[in-house]
Amino acid sequence: MRVLVVEDEKKTASFVRKALQAEGFAVDVCHNGDDALAAARATPFDGIVLDIMLPGRDGLSVLRQLRERKSATPVLLLSARGEVNERVEGLNAGADDYLPKPFELAELVARVRALTRRSGENKSTVLRVADLTLHTITHRAQRGGADIELTAREYRLLEFLMRDAGRICGRMMILEKVWDYDFDPGTNLVDVYIRRLREKIDANFEPKLLHTVRGTGYVLKEQP
Amino acid sequence: MTIRTRLTLWYSVVLCAVALAVMTAALYHEFVIEKHHHRYQGKSESERDSEDLIDILTWTVVPAVAFGLAGGWWLTRQALAPVASLTQAAGRITERNLGEELPRTGNADELDRLAGVFNDMLARLDDSFNRTREFTLHASHELKTPLTVLCGETETALRDESLSAAERERAASQLDELRRLARIVDGLTLLAKADAGQVTLKLEPVRLDELVRDNFEDARILAEPQGIQVELTACEEATVPADRHRLRQLLLNLADNAVKYNQPQGRVTMSLRRVDGVAEFTIANTGPGIPAEFLPRVFDRFFRGDPAHSPTVEGCGLGLSIVQWIASAHSGSVKVDSIPSKITTVTVQLPLAEPAPRIA
Repeated sequence: MRVLVVEDEKKTASFVRKALQAEGFAVDVCHNGDDALAAARATPFDGIVLDIMLPGRDGLSVLRQLRERKSATPVLLLSARGEVNERVEGLNAGADDYLPKPFELAELVARVRALTRRSGENKSTVLRVADLTLHTITHRAQRGGADIELTAREYRLLEFLMRDAGRICGRMMILEKVWDYDFDPGTNLVDVYIRRLREKIDANFEPKLLHTVRGTGYVLKEQP
Repeated sequence: MTIRTRLTLWYSVVLCAVALAVMTAALYHEFVIEKHHHRYQGKSESERDSEDLIDILTWTVVPAVAFGLAGGWWLTRQALAPVASLTQAAGRITERNLGEELPRTGNADELDRLAGVFNDMLARLDDSFNRTREFTLHASHELKTPLTVLCGETETALRDESLSAAERERAASQLDELRRLARIVDGLTLLAKADAGQVTLKLEPVRLDELVRDNFEDARILAEPQGIQVELTACEEATVPADRHRLRQLLLNLADNAVKYNQPQGRVTMSLRRVDGVAEFTIANTGPGIPAEFLPRVFDRFFRGDPAHSPTVEGCGLGLSIVQWIASAHSGSVKVDSIPSKITTVTVQLPLAEPAPRIA
């Protein structure tokens, strides 16, 4: 998987590159819009992380150019302005996702992963992690053969974590996907739900599956 | 033309009219007296003179006074009418509509010049308000870039496997504070944009009762660790024209406050009712409450009450300001009542949507 990162702020570009490389992506970096367009013409990328505020040609203009060229490469927009209108404008211009700055790195990585995945992968109706299974049609959760009662919200949270099993899921992304919040409420809602979910799926079982990655997010996996 | 000239001119017109009226009356009277004179020959000369005097007085002085009064009243009204409209217009001005101008008559008199001076002053005020808003907006944008770098680099550091437990804890705690800073900047950006009228709400009919029920579930979960009981005493069906995300933000902010500023084993009571064409949502919580002298300021940005007596609660200090903005952006209102160390109640009123045919 090859990803292009277009970001004029060198330090930001650098840690984004490192984080994506750590996830196994090959990463190219451009610092302005024209270079990005040239790079995108020369290489077929699997995804583009595009900052809106760029010197010269801005991110939205780059995006429009790409879509005019009939490029279908998934694009994740980054913006320091974080305006609701800008998000809508970006999505209308053909972006696939939008992330306001400052973002959580785990968040960005998870989103890039989701973008480059897209087609087909992990759409199965039965999700499995160790002896924990989730039937996405009947909404039935079981661990070690025993049924686990879940509320609607807990079910959605568990499904979200299981679809990304083994990967760190950021708090903001959970709030967006499970709660449909487009803002950071600044509460510990997610932590409290995770704790409840842990009581249900982990308390009476070994090994523990649901882990907190301090400062980053949560991950559902077999090994600690 | 100045008001002085205008008044002088008008009043001379009034005086001329009065004089003319009096003269006509006198002539008419003279004519009548002549008739009387012929009819009542028998009366003495002096008797006739005193009758004449009284007649003349009734026929001339009374109308003159009456006309004079009426004219004066009309003149004052004419002259003061612009003052009344100026007062009204000035009364409507708040920091939000400084751009509106006071009406000018355009006849270059004293009041018109006064309105002009007022308008210039308003323009200067508007300008300085705008500068402050722009400053806040730019400042919050500018802060985001270094914040992004700080958050990103701290997070990258946290991923380093070779960190000792103590180093990891330090980095994680720094990251928590950085995120809190980021939330403050986010809140500031939102409010600065709202002040500048740059936030557009996506209004659609929203079932408030569904959002309240959702919020009730979240509040119960939030309250559980402290053993706080959450109740929903009423949840009447109510549809309001609203931006769904902003309303959820409002509800969650209030629920979060009700839990944070509570006491262990306390209580939170929510209700949603339709009252006189509005949807009324109330959320009450036990806990230390807010002293009466602080109540008018609870919606102020970063207002924290008496630091010596308020519990140290983590928050960005903008929650209630954001709640107030969301309520007023939906043409609604929010108020807080508190009986210290007993109960604090927040009431939000939102106009109901026009009744529409229900979709099954």
